[in-house]
Amino acid sequence: MDTVLSLDHFSKIYSNGRGARSITFSVERGQVVGLLGPNGSGKTTIMKSLTGLAQPTEGTVTLFGVNAADRERALQNVGALIEQPALYENLTALDHLCMAARYYPQVDRARIDKVLRIVGLLPYAKERCGKFSLGMKQRMGLALALLSEPELMILDEPTNGLDIEATVEIREIIIRLAKEKGVTFLVASHLASEIEKMCDKVLVLYEGEMLSFETKEEALRLHPSLEDYFLAKVRDKKGSVVL
Amino acid sequence: MEQFRANLCNELFKLSKRKKYLVFLILGSLICVASALRVLIINYLTDGEVSRQAILGGLMTSNLPFVLLLFLPLMAIMAAGDLFVGEQADHTIRFSLMRPVGKGKLFFSKAAAVFLLCAFDLGVLYLVSTVAQVALGGGTEGILTSLGACLLDLIPLAVLILFFCLINQLIKGQGLTVLLCVVVYILLLVLGTYLPVVGGLVFTGYLRWHNLWIGITLPVFSLLPRVGLLAGYGLVFGSCGYLLFDRRDA
Repeated sequence: MDTVLSLDHFSKIYSNGRGARSITFSVERGQVVGLLGPNGSGKTTIMKSLTGLAQPTEGTVTLFGVNAADRERALQNVGALIEQPALYENLTALDHLCMAARYYPQVDRARIDKVLRIVGLLPYAKERCGKFSLGMKQRMGLALALLSEPELMILDEPTNGLDIEATVEIREIIIRLAKEKGVTFLVASHLASEIEKMCDKVLVLYEGEMLSFETKEEALRLHPSLEDYFLAKVRDKKGSVVL
Repeated sequence: MEQFRANLCNELFKLSKRKKYLVFLILGSLICVASALRVLIINYLTDGEVSRQAILGGLMTSNLPFVLLLFLPLMAIMAAGDLFVGEQADHTIRFSLMRPVGKGKLFFSKAAAVFLLCAFDLGVLYLVSTVAQVALGGGTEGILTSLGACLLDLIPLAVLILFFCLINQLIKGQGLTVLLCVVVYILLLVLGTYLPVVGGLVFTGYLRWHNLWIGITLPVFSLLPRVGLLAGYGLVFGSCGYLLFDRRDA
């Protein structure tokens, strides 16, 4: 299998001491990998470094065999939604997608309409994003990430602010794209149930450290749910600190 | 180059969607027309002894100090603030940072967008001044000279814009950055005006660049060091600005 992304002894420490330390893992094509951890555990830091929003303090980040520092080549097949979507309040949904389309020669108007339909924003294409609700903004962020038909999607809390119906829809889109088109997903969430429903592998982060990286089946072999698995890993970590 | 062009188009699109630049341009145009209206007053006060051609000849050239020293720098400060520190503050800079485009191309396309906005405004003000001059009976005298002056003055304007882009990488708040740009710009202007010793070394002293080349000029050979100095400023501001932009996390 092809390695789509890899982090090798990656560290990113912010001036306040938070961040992520010595993270090493890789993701193969078509996998759906979940980053599971509480707020401040380093999930967003890893995702920011993968998409060029932050530079690693140490280690290397590789996307499709290319160092992430070579942004033009590394990000060619990457779609991302990090934290809240980056939207200009005075521009419409269509303006945003047309602007994003300029970076990808293969994206045409039909594709723009298609992603708007996928995320359910076609009727609101000409409305300013400043007037959108949190859920609509999140859908818009997903539309921007999906636009170029990327081979790798990096999604940070993709269902944040969405209602139950939309959450299920997004989850189904992720599972379908991974199965049918072989799209690789790296999805971060602090909800174990969400990760459990859509991911093949799970990476547990806690206070900037990587506690484990296993397939869902391995994780669930000794634990009834991913939530229990996560709590066990955190207990092990705290126990080792006490000892 | 395609990614540079894509980002440049996006930056220009974003600027075009902000109404304040249009309002600013209309205000600048009104001021240029108002300066032409003085012909009516002087012509009336002197009972027509001072001809309209004498007063209005090369109207744009007489408007240039206002346009070059006040209007365009303010426009450049606002636009650079919106495209750099403003986008950093509301995180919208991630929109372009998450696309397959190098940070160097991002930085310089944003600077180019500010430059094109200022060049467009200069062109509009030139047209407005020229039309006002002809319409008020000032004839066509000095029109071509004014055009040449405008084109020459774009060179120091580019350096000034790179300077503002550099300042935008130094601090985080948009209001504070705009204030810093204005204060530093005024200080440099004052320094260049009241300290002749350093006047030739401060780049803001070259904002009316056309004065060196049009009218009574120095020999080209003696102007070369000034060309080199301006180019040096441009290189330093551009490379330092890019370096800081590249290292900044979003």
